[in-house]
Amino acid sequence: MGSILDRNVAPEVFGPDRTEAGKKFFDWINAGAGRLVVGGKLIKELASTKAGEWVKQAILSKRVKILDKAKVNTSVNKLQDEGGFKSDDPHIVALAQVSGARLLYSNDKKLQQDFKNKKLIDQPRGKVYSTISGGGKFEDSHKRLLRLKKKDLCGVPQ
Amino acid sequence: MDRITLKNFRCFHEEQTARLAPLTLLVGENSTGKTSFMSMIRALWDVAYRHEVPDFKEEPYDLGSFDEIVYNLGGKKGKAGTFEAGFDSATRPGRKLRLSKTNTTQAYHFEVAFAKDETVPIPVRRHLAYEKLWIKEFFEPKNRNCQLCVGTERGSWEFQFDLQRYSPLDLTHYRVEPLFYSLMKARDGLVPLNGSKKIVERDLEQLFDLCSESFGIRVEKRPYASAPVRSRPRRTYDPARMSPDPEGEYVPMYLANVYLRHKEIWGSLKNKLENFGKASGLFDEISILPLGKIDSGPFQIRVRKSGGRRKGLWRNLVDVGYGVSQVLPVITELFRQDTAPLVLLQQPEVHLHPSAQAALGSLFCQTAAQGSQLIIETHSDYILDRVRMDVRDGSVPLKPDDVSILFFERRAQDVCIHSLRLDKEGNILGDVPPNYRNFFMQETQRSLGL
Repeated sequence: MGSILDRNVAPEVFGPDRTEAGKKFFDWINAGAGRLVVGGKLIKELASTKAGEWVKQAILSKRVKILDKAKVNTSVNKLQDEGGFKSDDPHIVALAQVSGARLLYSNDKKLQQDFKNKKLIDQPRGKVYSTISGGGKFEDSHKRLLRLKKKDLCGVPQ
Repeated sequence: MDRITLKNFRCFHEEQTARLAPLTLLVGENSTGKTSFMSMIRALWDVAYRHEVPDFKEEPYDLGSFDEIVYNLGGKKGKAGTFEAGFDSATRPGRKLRLSKTNTTQAYHFEVAFAKDETVPIPVRRHLAYEKLWIKEFFEPKNRNCQLCVGTERGSWEFQFDLQRYSPLDLTHYRVEPLFYSLMKARDGLVPLNGSKKIVERDLEQLFDLCSESFGIRVEKRPYASAPVRSRPRRTYDPARMSPDPEGEYVPMYLANVYLRHKEIWGSLKNKLENFGKASGLFDEISILPLGKIDSGPFQIRVRKSGGRRKGLWRNLVDVGYGVSQVLPVITELFRQDTAPLVLLQQPEVHLHPSAQAALGSLFCQTAAQGSQLIIETHSDYILDRVRMDVRDGSVPLKPDDVSILFFERRAQDVCIHSLRLDKEGNILGDVPPNYRNFFMQETQRSLGL
């Protein structure tokens, strides 16, 4: 099931002081239940964090999927031409559009709004896993997201 | 060979199918049947193309007698009566491999079943098929009975051979002689089966075409099978035999022979060896030092590694790291002009630093792209990852479909083979079991303190 991890929460998932919600998310992707998608700029961003080593191993172990750089770039260019997004992370929205991944772990409010914007991500709508309000606790909302079925988290590439 | 099937062979019980590609990497834990798998590939080659009864004790694969090779069903069931294997191939030996994106042709299917004869396995059934054409030959060793069945789109026919006059030794050869000959003997006596009409010349022509060429004549070349350990280096070599052996004992003599007698080939070979030496960090130059005045005298092999602008000293093979002498047989075999059409390598990475292992990965890609089929058993992530990256980055003319990764997974007493592929982004595709690379993931997790 497709999911995307924003660089700003990578320390919550891979850092020395992981949050409870971050740890649960890690367990989910590490078990292969939620396959992380990476590509374009996000690979470079994650590679500079502790996540990099795990991502490298997870690519070989089929727990992470790399997306076609050209397709992601085309999608980013299209987004930039058309506008309509608030964050400065069009590459994350592009990843969802190209891969069909519909779960984003991010604490960036503008990016969250973009991810839930039906005009940008649809069929199914984007869902956000965030620790802004709960201070890192693993809450029922998180639990529900990690229990979602494949059809809710994997859309058709746009 | 494009696809292999196995049944009741060693640790493989249920029929296993594995996709082979120009470059195939066999991965998995120890004792999961990777070496047995390679031995069967050579055995299939011997039966199909060389019309020989395979020797399952021939080095570097000593699988033992029939009882040690056939699958043990367990308990009162004991051992299976036969073991079977087969392959599909869209190309014939000696022809360039069909890399992806060229026209796909229908594959030939060849299958053989082995039964026990005294203590050794012998072929008791052969089956060759192409589209709607097929030939099957069955032996009953006890009754000295042999039946040939053939089929075309028009029908099917059979012929019973009388083998009573054959001695046991003749029978052994008879059972693997080219199907072409069997068809020659049977052509005038084929009896229609299942209401088929009488066989006509057109059917026979198609059937002779099916079993002609490689399946009809003996192919001299054999796969080169290397052992997981290579011969120890020596300070001075005496001229010796040059026939390829699994441990690469012949390689020093081969190099000396090329150096002394084929200067133009030596130039090219030396260049390739040195390019690999530089890419792997093992050496920059290699040379042969004859010690006598005659060209059949003893000789030494020396390598040199330079540092910065200064050229280093020439060093004897025994005076440099063990990795050099251990990889030399592998790379020499791959660089030979007359390299085998199918190369089976076991753990080519032993004694090599990760950078040299990665360089080997690139070399395998280049060799496979030039037309040899490589099947490599490895525990090296550096080789696997280099292959993945070279294919993804397009730095070699191999396409993702030209690489197959076979994961051997132990399941209780059996082993299951999973055929994995790459996509153009370097992702692993295919039927990946949940425990695939669990060890690596757990180690990484622990290393990161997660």
